Amino acid sequence: MTAILHAMRAELRAVFTDGQVRLILLASLVIYALVYPLPYRAEVLRDVPVVLVDLDRTTTSAELVRRVDASEPVTVTAEARDMVQAVRMVQDRRAYGVLLIPEGFERELLRGRQSPVALYADASYFLMYQRVMQGAAVPLRQMGAEVEMGRLIASGASLGVARAQVSPATQVEVPLFNPAAGYATYVLPAAFVLILQQTMLMGLALIAVRRRAGEGHPVWRVLGRMACWVALYAVLLPVYLIVLPAIYGLPNLGRVDAVLAIGLPFILATGLLAQCVAALFKTAEVVQVVLLALGLPFFFLSGFAWPIEAIPPTLNALAQLVPSTAAIDGLVRVSQMGARLSDVASTLWQLWALVGALLVACLVIETRRRIAAPPFPNPAAPGDL
Amino acid sequence: MLREFRLLLRRPALLGLSVLLPVLMIAVLTGIFRAGIPTGMAVAVIDLDRSDLSRSITRMLDAAPELRVTHQALNLSEARALIVSGQVRGAIRLPQHFERDITRGDRPEIVTFYDNQHMSAGSLVARGARNAIDTALAGLRVSIRQGQGAAPVQAQVATQPIPLQAHALFNPAFDYVHFLLAALVPTILQIIAAAGTAYAISLDFGPGRHPQVLVRLAGGLLPAMLGKILPYTAMFLLVLGLSDVALYGWLGVPLRGSLLLMAAGAVLFVLAAQLIGALAFVLTRDMGRAASIIAVITAPAFGFMGLGFPREAMSPLAQVWGAMIPGTWYVQLRIDQSLRATPFEISVWPVLWLALITLALATLAFAQLARLRRTLDQGA
Repeated sequence: MTAILHAMRAELRAVFTDGQVRLILLASLVIYALVYPLPYRAEVLRDVPVVLVDLDRTTTSAELVRRVDASEPVTVTAEARDMVQAVRMVQDRRAYGVLLIPEGFERELLRGRQSPVALYADASYFLMYQRVMQGAAVPLRQMGAEVEMGRLIASGASLGVARAQVSPATQVEVPLFNPAAGYATYVLPAAFVLILQQTMLMGLALIAVRRRAGEGHPVWRVLGRMACWVALYAVLLPVYLIVLPAIYGLPNLGRVDAVLAIGLPFILATGLLAQCVAALFKTAEVVQVVLLALGLPFFFLSGFAWPIEAIPPTLNALAQLVPSTAAIDGLVRVSQMGARLSDVASTLWQLWALVGALLVACLVIETRRRIAAPPFPNPAAPGDL
Repeated sequence: MLREFRLLLRRPALLGLSVLLPVLMIAVLTGIFRAGIPTGMAVAVIDLDRSDLSRSITRMLDAAPELRVTHQALNLSEARALIVSGQVRGAIRLPQHFERDITRGDRPEIVTFYDNQHMSAGSLVARGARNAIDTALAGLRVSIRQGQGAAPVQAQVATQPIPLQAHALFNPAFDYVHFLLAALVPTILQIIAAAGTAYAISLDFGPGRHPQVLVRLAGGLLPAMLGKILPYTAMFLLVLGLSDVALYGWLGVPLRGSLLLMAAGAVLFVLAAQLIGALAFVLTRDMGRAASIIAVITAPAFGFMGLGFPREAMSPLAQVWGAMIPGTWYVQLRIDQSLRATPFEISVWPVLWLALITLALATLAFAQLARLRRTLDQGA
């Protein structure tokens, strides 16, 4: 017991006395909390600029333009003489789409023929493409339906029959969770989990690299450190995953106890992984560079932003070894989607299995280190003199 | 400079960080995105009608490339539970008396529920379901018209008075995936170039080292620093070049622009990223603090580049912050010159911005070095 307490105190002291560790574990968390959400504060893309090339110049074409302009996703900001000029405006990023109304648009409609309209959307930005397509497709479809109904009624059909003929069924799309399709609401809950993991990995690995061989049985030493992490993150995790999202106004359907139930194995697995990373890369500098480079791959491997269905099975299997993969999925489902613990049971089991496996790995490392070199010489760490 | 290459060979960690690490990271990212546009999202169907028509719509949903009907749910709460636990990404509800209401002209309602917290997967589900249902309904409308005696072509024309011809500008194959990859590579390289350079400098100029020896060897502080930085510039450019050969050659991402602009941009970008690392180190003279500065600048940089949420829609503060990061301009240049075939006079601007950033960083680093040198001289 005293050995556990001793190890816990040693770890806590390292967190608060080593300036670099304090910087990473505490100060970085604050800075990331400010910088990371900055691009996404606007949440929803509105009024994407679109160029108009109207070769018809009739009242019907003007009506079509008015309707497209009135739609929420896009605005018609400029007119171009021809496609060449319009495309140049898109290349210059002054607009993200071109609406081309061909000559004879109104004439064809009046003659009862098909009268197509062309829409060119900038496909080099996925979100822009989506919004431009939405912004034009809905008013066009509506106008087309009105034209068809008008023709049907003119040919003697009753209003009800005409309506059923034009659209036999109505289609409704209901987004469950994140109903406004906010980008911050989408990306931040997952990003906060990853930031927590990366800063924790880096800070604790730094402590582990600089630690001299201590006394006591390896089991007690590792247990003592685990107690320290739990104590520290009992404060940090709720602040980062509950208070911070609330400050940014993100929806929260989760129960605090469910968040903590996933948070506990997540913290333990991350801390233990940090010990393994430290043993693998040995010097503080290398650990820092490697962990910095791993952040983005970890994010995409987690299967959050990029659907798991599209990730090759081998990579996906490897990704399961990183705590963030299971933790992001579980925590997002609990806090954003209101999942109960029974809904995310497999995630929870996976995290605990990870804790078990990493604990064994850590004990092996600790034991071998004690046999290998008492007293432990710190190999080539020029930064910490 | 030669000394630096020899040092590299002696120190496997340094070589591993500057060559192996970026290559490995790029390989992992390539692996993630290689499969292309995601397909086969699992969905549930809540078929309350169980008629021929509702079954045929279910089949059409399953046939959509985006979707895979894996579950039949009895009611909405069952479907919702499936979505919350992650077994499906969405659910489509076909109401009771669906077929009867359609033949009567009562216009029943088809509802698509989708998980928009996982927005990328959710919007795929919504799109797949919308298209499948549209196709099914269009088929119905044409057959109603044909039932009334219209010829097939005539019926088709009548049901769509204003068809929309949708075109994807610059990216006709809608190859968003490889394009995303082409932007992720510089992001990773920016992180590694900055951190790796800081690490390399820390080995000679860090506390407890004897920078004077190196300075004397190279004949001045500036040549010594340049000698430290330039060998890595060459190596990072090599990594970037190789990954580009893979991207544009092997994966077939189109390259439709000026190679000269691309090359100039690449050199400036790598230099600027390295200078961030160098400046962070000479300011703090401590690798730990330098790494934290580098992390804050380069780790969230991907979001500021505007590939997911576009830059134009960001707050002015976010736009300014993004404009100060070299990767933002380099990625814009790459998109311009690979996909968009942007004319020279437009695309030259990101290169000029990169040059400006590089110059500013170099000036700052040099000023700090001059100060350090004065203290060094006093100390010696």
